[in-house]
Amino acid sequence: MCQDTGLVECFCRLGHRVVLEEPLQQTLETAVGQTYRAYPFRDSTVDEPLFRRTPLKDNVPPMVHLFQTEGNVLEIRFLIKGGGSENLSRYFALEPSAGVDEVENKVIELVKEKGAMSCPPLHIGIGIGGSAEKSFVNAKYALTDRLEARNPHPDYAQLEERLFRKLNDLSIGFQGLGIGPTVLSVHTVYEPTHIATLPLAIAVDCYLNRKGAVRYED
Amino acid sequence: MRIEALTAGEPVQYTGQLLIMRDAAQKRLIQETHISGNPPIELEGRIIFYAGPAKAPEGYPFGAVGPTTSSRMDKMLEYLFQRGVIATIGKGKRTPLAVELCRRYHRVYFVTPSGAAAALMAKIVKASCLAYPELGTEAVYSVEAVDFPLITAIDVNGVDIFSRS
Repeated sequence: MCQDTGLVECFCRLGHRVVLEEPLQQTLETAVGQTYRAYPFRDSTVDEPLFRRTPLKDNVPPMVHLFQTEGNVLEIRFLIKGGGSENLSRYFALEPSAGVDEVENKVIELVKEKGAMSCPPLHIGIGIGGSAEKSFVNAKYALTDRLEARNPHPDYAQLEERLFRKLNDLSIGFQGLGIGPTVLSVHTVYEPTHIATLPLAIAVDCYLNRKGAVRYED
Repeated sequence: MRIEALTAGEPVQYTGQLLIMRDAAQKRLIQETHISGNPPIELEGRIIFYAGPAKAPEGYPFGAVGPTTSSRMDKMLEYLFQRGVIATIGKGKRTPLAVELCRRYHRVYFVTPSGAAAALMAKIVKASCLAYPELGTEAVYSVEAVDFPLITAIDVNGVDIFSRS
């Protein structure tokens, strides 16, 4: 249990035959508001990030990402994302000629330099390819994967396993105290990308990795 | 607490007062001090716990509470030390600036377990809001702790457990 009961992030796969009575954003905002009012969680959001930062009640709004899919199923994966791990988020606009080594080095450097600040053993989500914002959504989505899930592409699966080993070799350990594992999972999601780009987004979650999924059939 | 006697890596069970204060309250405190010349809160001899509690469950004096990332507040640390704060509590490695300030002012930095906020809540027997209630979880709280678990992370000689190889 952590007092930082997060920003609530929702990744919604909405089948094209599902009919909704109201916008999904509104439903999820109501759900988050009701839940945070009913339980002694922390309200961790502010209304505006730069000038006044006035606290909001009920921990709204959730961050909602919507993907349209085929069929009659609505699947919502959610992540209760603390601020300490969120501050380790990084985006790199790598050159297209950059190789696997450069991608690995960026991840390793980040965890080595900053990993101890965000409650290790960590979960690492990596989005590669697509556009800048697409790679980031993919990196976050990767954090909602099952712990033991591997990327179906063998090269990316190997990259995950190699990074898992190398990151644990850093021996940062629980709370950065050098005891226990440094990472608990590494997940990648890749997308086609532009000839001139190699987007790399890294998202980090703390050891609690509070997540869940809801599935409706219409 | 005799902080001079503590060495980096040493565990401590602390019983006494803690002042809970994090990013927003510290920023405001420094701004108000610049304007009025006097800090609106007495900091002499205080131990600052970088944290923001969850709401208190019914029947409890205080909500679930645990450390937040200390290094975010390193640039405000000298202000605290100049006004007599003797120690800070948080989580994670701090910047070289914070290590140097601990050495120069003979102060310590403790870490306490993160992700165990319900367990730490049980160590708090009394609490009151001291300032800035409008900041919600980021208000300043004075709490009474019993057997609060700490590990000395930076000692008064500037020895840092996170920089050991």
